[in-house]
Amino acid sequence: MRLLAEWYDFRDLGNTIGALLDRIRDWGAPDWVPYVASGVIGAVAILLWTVLSVLAFIWIERRVVALMQNRIGPNRVGPNGLLQPVADALKLLLKEAITTRDADRILFWAAPVLIFIPTMVIFAVIPFGRGMVLADLNVGVLFLIAIGSTNTLAVFLAGWSSNNKYALLGAMRTVAMLISYEIIQVLALLGVVLFAGSMRLGDIVDWQRDMDVWLLFIQPLALLAYIISGAVEINRSPMDISEAESEIVAGYHTEYGGIKFGFFYQAEYLAGFGIAAIITSLYLGGWTAWGLEEWVPGWLIFLGKLYLVFFLYIWSRGTLPRLRIDQLMAFAWKYLLPLSLLNVVVAGGEVLVWREADVPSEVALPVIGAINAVLAVALVVGWASTLGHLRRERRPARAILTQEVGAILYEKAAPGPLRRGSGQA
Amino acid sequence: MEDAGSIAAFWVLAVITVGSALMVAAARNLIHAVVALIVSFLGVAGLYVTLSADFLAVTQVLIYAGAVSVLILFAIVLTPTAARDNADSFLRLPALLLAVVVAFTIGLAALETDWRIADRGGFEETASAIGEALLDKYVLPFEIASVLLLAAMIGAIVLVRPESASVEE
Amino acid sequence: MKTEPFVINIGPQHPSTHGVFRLRLTLDGERIVDAEMVMGYLHRSMEKLAEERSYTQNIPFTDRTDYVAAMTGNLAYVLAVEKLCAIEAPERAQWLRVIMSELQRFASHSMAIGVFANDCGAWQTPVMHMFREREKILDLFEMACGARLTTNYMRIGGVSRDVPPEFMPALKKLIAELPKRMPEYEALLTENEIIVARSRGIGVLTPGAAMAASVSGPMLRASGVAWDIRKADPYAVYPKVEFDIAVGTNGDVYDRFLVRVAEMWQSIRILEQAVDMMPAGPIHAQIPAATVQPTMGGPSGPLAFRPPAGEAYGRIESPRGELGFYIISDGGPTPFRFHIRSPSFINLTPLRDLSIGMTVADAVVILGSVDIVVGEVDR
Repeated sequence: MRLLAEWYDFRDLGNTIGALLDRIRDWGAPDWVPYVASGVIGAVAILLWTVLSVLAFIWIERRVVALMQNRIGPNRVGPNGLLQPVADALKLLLKEAITTRDADRILFWAAPVLIFIPTMVIFAVIPFGRGMVLADLNVGVLFLIAIGSTNTLAVFLAGWSSNNKYALLGAMRTVAMLISYEIIQVLALLGVVLFAGSMRLGDIVDWQRDMDVWLLFIQPLALLAYIISGAVEINRSPMDISEAESEIVAGYHTEYGGIKFGFFYQAEYLAGFGIAAIITSLYLGGWTAWGLEEWVPGWLIFLGKLYLVFFLYIWSRGTLPRLRIDQLMAFAWKYLLPLSLLNVVVAGGEVLVWREADVPSEVALPVIGAINAVLAVALVVGWASTLGHLRRERRPARAILTQEVGAILYEKAAPGPLRRGSGQA
Repeated sequence: MEDAGSIAAFWVLAVITVGSALMVAAARNLIHAVVALIVSFLGVAGLYVTLSADFLAVTQVLIYAGAVSVLILFAIVLTPTAARDNADSFLRLPALLLAVVVAFTIGLAALETDWRIADRGGFEETASAIGEALLDKYVLPFEIASVLLLAAMIGAIVLVRPESASVEE
Repeated sequence: MKTEPFVINIGPQHPSTHGVFRLRLTLDGERIVDAEMVMGYLHRSMEKLAEERSYTQNIPFTDRTDYVAAMTGNLAYVLAVEKLCAIEAPERAQWLRVIMSELQRFASHSMAIGVFANDCGAWQTPVMHMFREREKILDLFEMACGARLTTNYMRIGGVSRDVPPEFMPALKKLIAELPKRMPEYEALLTENEIIVARSRGIGVLTPGAAMAASVSGPMLRASGVAWDIRKADPYAVYPKVEFDIAVGTNGDVYDRFLVRVAEMWQSIRILEQAVDMMPAGPIHAQIPAATVQPTMGGPSGPLAFRPPAGEAYGRIESPRGELGFYIISDGGPTPFRFHIRSPSFINLTPLRDLSIGMTVADAVVILGSVDIVVGEVDR
């Protein structure tokens, strides 16, 4: 059934809230009351949704990763383990709040709060549906980047205030990583802004709806760069160096226990949702889906896409091992940065030609999409081979089989090439 | 700026900014001073918002609170611990005198100037205006700033380059 | 810029030191300047305890030195004692020993590879996948001797009991299944670019250094030296089965991983041949009467196994390297000296030289590639 614009069509919450606000205005309240009321309602709604999503995803992620690992996952607490997040939250709340003796008390207490605030604030500028933006900033995209950059501060303060060598090591690594990948994030988002012509997120989603295309098809290289740098920003595998469990125990939040650790844990999930929300709005069309939003509420479509993107991150966590910090930095500076710069230059050129030559969008967009797709593949493969990533030594290989006892084959024979499924032939 | 909201916002932000700036000078622990500095930066960003300079406010957060403060923090962490407590300095009294003189001068200048109160028009989007200005009227300073940043980056790389010629992957 | 090195401890409580093992690293930034190994956290004085117990009572000790590969531990010990007494196990027992050793090798390498990938950061996924096959092998062990991990299966002169009738069909079923699983693991791990990037060129051990440090096992073979006790100093029925030695060419962590994968394939090959070639027959040799003497209570008292005075060194190729037992007997019912030449302990010797110049993350990966079992290191 199509969405009605009436207040009783609860599938589109904007109508209901809008009718409520009109009612308040009709009562003769001063001008700022509906404004504040809508702000409060929006903030409470976002808060509720994020907390519920985090609770749900604690269970979902552990189950999904368990399925990938050929085991079951939490299934004891409650039916099918569904109360596991509640158990986790209770456990964290009831633990003793230890502050180490020589730690900096104020900063130690403040760091979890400081890391939690930016991850929540991101959702203020994301358009959840038609007219469902809490703060429709003109500089929305820039705001997202700015908030991401305050994340580095909180991580560093957390590591430093613990008075622990491991934590400081982890914090330094994390800050270096975050700063490098911020630049790539900015360049990836710049490609989007060039095409949409505006930094307001609602405008970008509207552009995608008007042009009937998702920016993923126009800017594939930027999306790839953003997915990778997003994974780094939220410290998720394969780039979870800052909490590399097998190396430095837990990185910058080693000394945190109880609900302070709960804040870090929650902030990781929230940041993941934030990045997924940004990818959904900017690259995947946001709450639009080629006309489906007339029938299904936009926020449902948006949430569906968001969870799919987050599933991509869960998938990569369950599958891929972790990179070393210097490999990660080299990847950022030598590989992703030149590619992103080239992408911005090419995108700028395309937009310029499109506007100047006044080509209709039905012609221009497929052409631009095709050019960018080919360019993306060519650049990814070409630049990798220029940097030497596709050289023989980096490729997978096989051990050599021999029968002569006592022979020394060090560096004398080349390793056998890998042919999968052929056994040891 | 007549209605109650703007006035309240201004005063709250002003107290935050000036208060944390005072904390920067008064804090014993250097890291606390830097955190207070960051709060002061955020307060300034808020003041920009009350002046409808949206782009500038967000850039203030991005550059100052995001990048410059991390730089300062790293610089502090890499210095020896002896410089951490900046309370017992023999320059306390002369510094205080100098600060009072400077504050008096600035205050006198601010109170004596005839400020023209500009007529506020509607809110225009500043981002596109700034962008156009940077590439139109002010393109030369823009390019010079870029060259300066490039020189700084190259200098940083040269400074931390290891002695041997090989650069690891 | 003046920097100063600082010391961090990896372990003894650490998620990836493969047991209670402590590594004191002196770091200069991220680079390791010095690495000091502190062992002994799991010392259980097995060698001394064994001097109080009879030869057969010592067999369960050998389960617990290398608790990941118990069968091979048993085998090395009984081979040493058999050398001392010149006892020869019967044919069927030898084939059963080979089958159990190769199954154990596959299981141990499964764990080694899974845990190595875990050290590289893949959150337990390879461990879980590799343990699927390991569980099936442990089920077979349970069928054969009643225990999964501490098997206590070999005896001096043979094996403790014959396999039940359902063992061989189950084994044949497993052997048919394993070659289908191995390509899955290779796709997930060997071809994984991140694992290649994390392990190529890391911890290179030249053959000269390896031989000087008496390194053995996959670590030695990865350095290019084709030395396998099963071929160099054959025991049991290894001369009768066909298999190859897997050798690497670079001596780095990736090659050690590749050698272990190749050895898993070779184990499957040996098992296929053993299943066909195993004869029926007795499973325990007749112990010569001279070695079994009454020990107390006069000539009609309880009998004890007293090997002739002398010394013997018996060695096998365990999944970690050359596992050897040096037994000195003084003619009494308990050994005079019971020394375990444990491969993990000797293979750790070059760890310091391998780690210097690497980063902390690499040190963990190198330690994972040495594949230690701390029970063996500390005994």
